[in-house]
Amino acid sequence: MVTPKKSRADDRTVSPLSRREFGALTVSAMAAPFALISRATASPPISATDVIDRIKKSIGVEWKPDTFDTIKAGDPATVVSGVVTTAIASMSVLRRAVDAGANLVITSEPTFYGRADARTPPAGRGGGRGAPPPPDTPPPSDPVYTAKNAFIEKHGLVVFRLNQHWRLRRPDPFATGLASALGWSKRIEAPGDVLRYSIGAASLSALAAELKKKLGTRGGIRVIGDPQTRVQTVALLPGSTPLAAALDALPSVDVIVGGEVREWESVEYARDVVASGQRKGLVLVGRIVSEEGGMSECARWLTTLVSEVPVRHIPAGDPYWSPS
Amino acid sequence: MTAGEVIDRIKKNLGAPWRDTTYRDTFKFGGPETVVTGIATTAFVTLDVVKRAAAARLNMIIPHEATFWSDRDDTALVGRDPLYAAKVELMKKHDIVVFRIHDHMHAQRPDFTFVGSARDVGLDSRYETAPGSHRFVIPETTLGALAADVKRKTGARALRVVGDPAAKVSRIQLGVGYATPVINTPDVDVVISGEQQEADGGFDGPSYVVDATTLGLAKGWIMLGHVISEEAGMLEMAAWIKGFVPEVPVQLVKAEEPFWIPN
Repeated sequence: MVTPKKSRADDRTVSPLSRREFGALTVSAMAAPFALISRATASPPISATDVIDRIKKSIGVEWKPDTFDTIKAGDPATVVSGVVTTAIASMSVLRRAVDAGANLVITSEPTFYGRADARTPPAGRGGGRGAPPPPDTPPPSDPVYTAKNAFIEKHGLVVFRLNQHWRLRRPDPFATGLASALGWSKRIEAPGDVLRYSIGAASLSALAAELKKKLGTRGGIRVIGDPQTRVQTVALLPGSTPLAAALDALPSVDVIVGGEVREWESVEYARDVVASGQRKGLVLVGRIVSEEGGMSECARWLTTLVSEVPVRHIPAGDPYWSPS
Repeated sequence: MTAGEVIDRIKKNLGAPWRDTTYRDTFKFGGPETVVTGIATTAFVTLDVVKRAAAARLNMIIPHEATFWSDRDDTALVGRDPLYAAKVELMKKHDIVVFRIHDHMHAQRPDFTFVGSARDVGLDSRYETAPGSHRFVIPETTLGALAADVKRKTGARALRVVGDPAAKVSRIQLGVGYATPVINTPDVDVVISGEQQEADGGFDGPSYVVDATTLGLAKGWIMLGHVISEEAGMLEMAAWIKGFVPEVPVQLVKAEEPFWIPN
């Protein structure tokens, strides 16, 4: 278990983003548990349901019931002591949330790995490849699911997924958040188009190095294109995007900075664009890393809705490393 | 020797029934009547592969993956991009014919994608628990040492790893391409495969390994990239086709890894 002091140090290594916004919006969250307690007692109690209701009311897009944006774990009636937003509610993020005195975690990606986001391993899993298990066999116990559930129970956490509605908000908070993380917010090409930026000429290799530094990526950043290509205009494609997004963006900019794509789609398209002689590039920073800016935006927005308890963003960090 | 004759021989020698319902394993460019001067196998029909195949007088290209940047080679999706017209023009100029072999390559025994990838990453068949299981038990090593070894052997620049480099591992499940095996199974320490989304997929994925690592469990995830993972087996595919198409040269023309990584 990390101490609060350690978790702040972690944040500095994971992403410079958290350092900046930390001071901007969550002084009380980080001060000390005492500050949390005194603040909580000074404000009327607010439940997880209350926070989620305010989100639904204020998000600016029609709330649809049949989406992934639901509570994944915990009791909705829980009195909230603090709110954490993140790209993915990993064990590490949950631990750091608890260290910060928060018990409501708002995550863009699943807490329990697959799209189903169920608190138990998928039935029939765990037997390896080959023959399917006999029907009605309960899934074998899984140490990761078990430990994560136990941690959530022990600390009374509530985990809420907010992805499909958040990305429909305009302007797209995942794009404005990524631009903000990169310090590009004022370099927007045309008013209203938060996907495109004019960043000043740089080589593709210098841009990649800048992205790696600013986003704190480790092994998850990958580039296509001649490293010496001069790039000036950028399209942002945070999250996971299909070929259509790259087809739409790359012809009109020098480089795409994206999260995750299918390698048989946008990667091969970008490779052929480059091979055709066009001086362009594609940089993939990873799905999780690309969404942290948007979830940092979410924390900023939530402070306008929730004044009773501290709200902060905790980045999950780049899952990948690269062997030397 | 026409492309149609080559495909007939592939179907005849496959050792598994041909399924005409496949949308993948069809002509993507040109047709059966094209006269074949030579055959190139590859992972993807990139612009560069077309140029190098044509320069080697190999006008029939047999890729495992796409030509026009989507699984269905959906020309309606890409047809308005000038790059599509340029690629078509280049292929016409060199009288290229493209026939994809994907579904039937994976249905074939052995599946050459696994044979090639095991060879490429250095998983010796004597460590495979049963032929075709793609499960290898190697002498205990660390995830860091294993990943470094795989990187060195494959030459993959952008190989990505999840897990504690110091984790002690020995049980490896090999996957290929996007068909990445499950990791949340007690008898597998490390999954080595091509590509899988970071979260929100049909199965568990790298986020499971991230949590396992936080909890101190020895789990590892090595993603080679789609091309590195599946292109090696196109060497076996070329050798196999050569066996029943002696009339023309058959060789692997590599698409190669598309990525580089910043320092």
